[in-house]
Amino acid sequence: MHEKEKDLIGAFLRGQVDRRALLKGLGALGMTAGSAGTLFNMMSTQALAADFDWKAHSGKSLKLLLNKHPYADAMIANLQTFKDLTGINVTYDVFPEDVYFDKVTAALSSGSSEYDAFMTGAYMTWTYGPAGWITDLKEWINDPAKTNPNYAWDDFLPGVKNSCAWNGRPGGELGSDDAKQWCIPWAFEQNNITYNREMFDKAGVGVPKNIDDMISVAAKLQKDISGIYGIGLRGSRSWATIHPGFLSGYANFNEKDLAVSADGKLSAAMNTAGSKAYHSKFVQLIQESGPKDWSTYTWYQVGTDLGAGASAMIFDADCLGYFMNGGDNKMAGKLSYAAFAANPEATASTPNIWIWSLAMSNFSKDKDATWYFLQWASGPEHALFGATKMDFVDPVRQSIWKDEVFRNKLNTSYPGFVEMFDASAAGASIKFTPQPLFFDVTTEWAATLQKMVAKEVPVDEGLDQLAESINRQLKEAGLG
Amino acid sequence: MESTSTPERILRGIALTLVILFFMFPIFWIFMMSFQTNETILQIPPSLSFTPTLSNYMALITGKLTTAAGTLDIAFMGNLGNSVFLSTASVAVSLLLGVPAAYAFARHKFRGSEDIAFTLLSFRFAPPLLVLLPLTQYFQWLGLSDTYIGLIWVYQLICLPLILWIVRGYFEDISADVEYAYRIAGHSWFATFRKIALPLAGPGIAAAGLLAFIFAWNNFVFALVLASASKQPVTVGALAFVTSSGIQYGQIAAAIVLSIAPTLALALYAQRYLVEGLSLGAVKG
Amino acid sequence: MASVTTARKAPSGFRISKKALPYVLSLPALLVCIGILIPFFTAVINSFQRYRLSQPWARQFNWGENYLNFFTDPSFWNTLRVSLTYAGLTVVLELLLGLGIALLLQKRSAFNNFVSIMLLMPLMIAPALAALMWKLMTNPGFGILSYFASLVGLDNFRWASSPDTALLTVVLVDIWVYTPFIMILLLAGLRSLPTQPFEAAALDGVPRTFVFFRITLPMLTPYILTATLFRLLDSIQQFDIIYAMTQGGPGDTLTVFQVEAYLNFFQSTNVGRSAALLIILWAITYLLSNIFIKNWLRLRERARGEA
Repeated sequence: MHEKEKDLIGAFLRGQVDRRALLKGLGALGMTAGSAGTLFNMMSTQALAADFDWKAHSGKSLKLLLNKHPYADAMIANLQTFKDLTGINVTYDVFPEDVYFDKVTAALSSGSSEYDAFMTGAYMTWTYGPAGWITDLKEWINDPAKTNPNYAWDDFLPGVKNSCAWNGRPGGELGSDDAKQWCIPWAFEQNNITYNREMFDKAGVGVPKNIDDMISVAAKLQKDISGIYGIGLRGSRSWATIHPGFLSGYANFNEKDLAVSADGKLSAAMNTAGSKAYHSKFVQLIQESGPKDWSTYTWYQVGTDLGAGASAMIFDADCLGYFMNGGDNKMAGKLSYAAFAANPEATASTPNIWIWSLAMSNFSKDKDATWYFLQWASGPEHALFGATKMDFVDPVRQSIWKDEVFRNKLNTSYPGFVEMFDASAAGASIKFTPQPLFFDVTTEWAATLQKMVAKEVPVDEGLDQLAESINRQLKEAGLG
Repeated sequence: MESTSTPERILRGIALTLVILFFMFPIFWIFMMSFQTNETILQIPPSLSFTPTLSNYMALITGKLTTAAGTLDIAFMGNLGNSVFLSTASVAVSLLLGVPAAYAFARHKFRGSEDIAFTLLSFRFAPPLLVLLPLTQYFQWLGLSDTYIGLIWVYQLICLPLILWIVRGYFEDISADVEYAYRIAGHSWFATFRKIALPLAGPGIAAAGLLAFIFAWNNFVFALVLASASKQPVTVGALAFVTSSGIQYGQIAAAIVLSIAPTLALALYAQRYLVEGLSLGAVKG
Repeated sequence: MASVTTARKAPSGFRISKKALPYVLSLPALLVCIGILIPFFTAVINSFQRYRLSQPWARQFNWGENYLNFFTDPSFWNTLRVSLTYAGLTVVLELLLGLGIALLLQKRSAFNNFVSIMLLMPLMIAPALAALMWKLMTNPGFGILSYFASLVGLDNFRWASSPDTALLTVVLVDIWVYTPFIMILLLAGLRSLPTQPFEAAALDGVPRTFVFFRITLPMLTPYILTATLFRLLDSIQQFDIIYAMTQGGPGDTLTVFQVEAYLNFFQSTNVGRSAALLIILWAITYLLSNIFIKNWLRLRERARGEA
């Protein structure tokens, strides 16, 4: 029964046939999408099982620390597959995002062995890694005895994968040869434009092409459409204000947060002429067309306003725009996506990225079993499940982006998303200099930005003060 | 005071109305929000015209929350249960330890009594953040992390000083004569304490207990840092509605309403004691 | 007093000597709490170290360097100034308002009792959640309070997001949450005052303001001290409301001690600086409460002497 279909799916899973050919072939064999799906799931479990002893750690237990997030929900929805596959029992603690990283810091700093693996962002590993709280995963990834043959580490988007690897030297290049793989990327966010089509049509404007254009488009939108503001941007006194749109545009002008000297010393680089020019424009953008209470804006307010039709566009995470285009949001179905290059001379967008990743606790009592979970959760099977059945955007595996079902899903409901992704994926990576004072630098940067927007300090002077203060802190910490 | 003139009554009425408006309006607004979806809460300008829905309460009670990103499991009722248990147990322990101590400070001037009393109070002003992180490590070693016992112990830092100092004032204000008379009649110290002193101080104890309960109820940093997800109180639980696919204001409002309910019921029940009982340090002429 | 407690034998099997009794009663409370001193001292030690979690190899005693650095650190002085301003503003305003409300509700009636309980409701909402709701209510688009403000012509009132009004806004939220605490303590105090002095004053036709300032207020002082003490302890350590509303911003407008220490610990993982900041906060609170308690005890002694 279904032997031909099984052969075809098997070929696909072995990587001999791509998804398009698979679907075409199955169609020719008269399979419906539904029955193909069932068969596919059955086969993929078998394929995972082939050539690799998934049951090696059967009977063991793992505990995860998770953030309340759609990615975690997608994993939990599929978790039974892992339990069936390996016989490992998995329990988890989910904490609200607001307090999640506090919980992680508290658990890890006390050396608690309660959690074996946990969700993290790449920036956080710049603290966790040197602190000795997490494990370099290269050893496991490169060991064929421990990693299943279908894992396909090469399938990960290089910029994203490398952004999770750091050699631990302050200022060291991400993804260098001696880098340690502190975490495995799970899903990531590129910072680009999500905009309200109706409002853009009404005001008769197109997608902004560079930062000057953005300033005038946002202003026109705000003027022409009553009761809304031009552009949603984060502004709270936090690192989270710096890393989305702001830094993506900044990096597009080839500006850096810190400079690394030949002997590895760090110094602030925000007070260059180019940086000052960009800051002036960004501050103008916020003052003219940003939310009125910008300085309290976090991810949540930026998203809420876009979803409720209070703002015409955002320069923020693509998946924030993705979430706002569904659910009970008033503007659901009216949003579109576009890549954005702030620098008129740049050829493409260079978004800074946030990467939700999985890390292994150094205090885990059974690292081999934990790696079983990590390779499954970041493996191709779960990635496909998450991307097609749940809201696992943006996927970190290239094969998923080639997947027709996934592309169709995006093209149908999220216009422009695929083009946006294709246009900026090549330039997408973390644009910060990895170093342990990341949060000190970015928090103070955000505070300075707030002062400049409130006109408490002129841009030039503010940046000089910021650079001076950061240089002092770097010296104090022995990095400058 | 009885001879209030009409203009004064009007002025008092206006003042009271303003006070009630200021303090109750946000409560009223939160209450209204708890019957709305995000779509009607997030209107420009805000408006009160909406079709009330019970979906927020249903989501909280059944533990299923539907958002932009699908259905989420939420453990709100479990959080509520944890809050009730943690606060009640902590206040009970605090009363058990604090009331006798308060009695001792009030009735006996003994060597070091003021020092001990002040030290106990001083536990209240160590910033939680200061002790919390070393504490996680010690808890780890002692096996107290992620236990209710550990949490109830830490909660004593919030409850005990408050109870001690309020009840102490109350004991000091009750004349000791009745107790002496009772003891002379041949009753033990303990019988006197139980039959005379405690009932007389009842309102004070009830009021101090209620305030301590409120403060314990509102805490969230202790449980967050020291316990796993299954032992979190409502204060942490309600933050689960701040999701990356949007803040569920309706559910947060409903969560607030549900989390006020037990304390409010307790306060209304103990109404009589509450106000009378807080007359700490009364100087009876 | 001593003669009373002599000759009697306790019927309940065990006897505790008269001298030991107060210790037996009070020490359990102390013993249960004393454990907290261990993490406290650990924190004190941490405050004398160069200690960043992200640089474990660089951990070493640097003796008062963390503290000495504060002297030249403008952000520390800003923290000190903001914390004291915040505490001063909230405590004074809440005291005045709480006293006013208590006076309005002084008369014993079912209505007044009910109102006083209802007014406690803001206190029953966790401050972090209350702040979240205030943030929504002050949002320029969806916020009902912003809407009201625009009705009275304050079209561009920016609440917590402008450095000019941020302090005002968080103080307002603090007042909303904590005034009921002071109100209920003072109401209890007012109602327990003896009636004779007031009756006598009324008979003599003494002016009301005179009665208030010369009789009511002095008699109420012990209550005011207690209420202020507890409020002051919490207010100078404020975290929830400020962090949830502004995270210490805009700029450095609201970087009070706990917010700064929290960011230092959880984000920068600079344990040494965080601990040093909190020890200073602890010292300030210790000093303030010492003053309060001394005065409180003195007042009580005096009142007892007069009685």
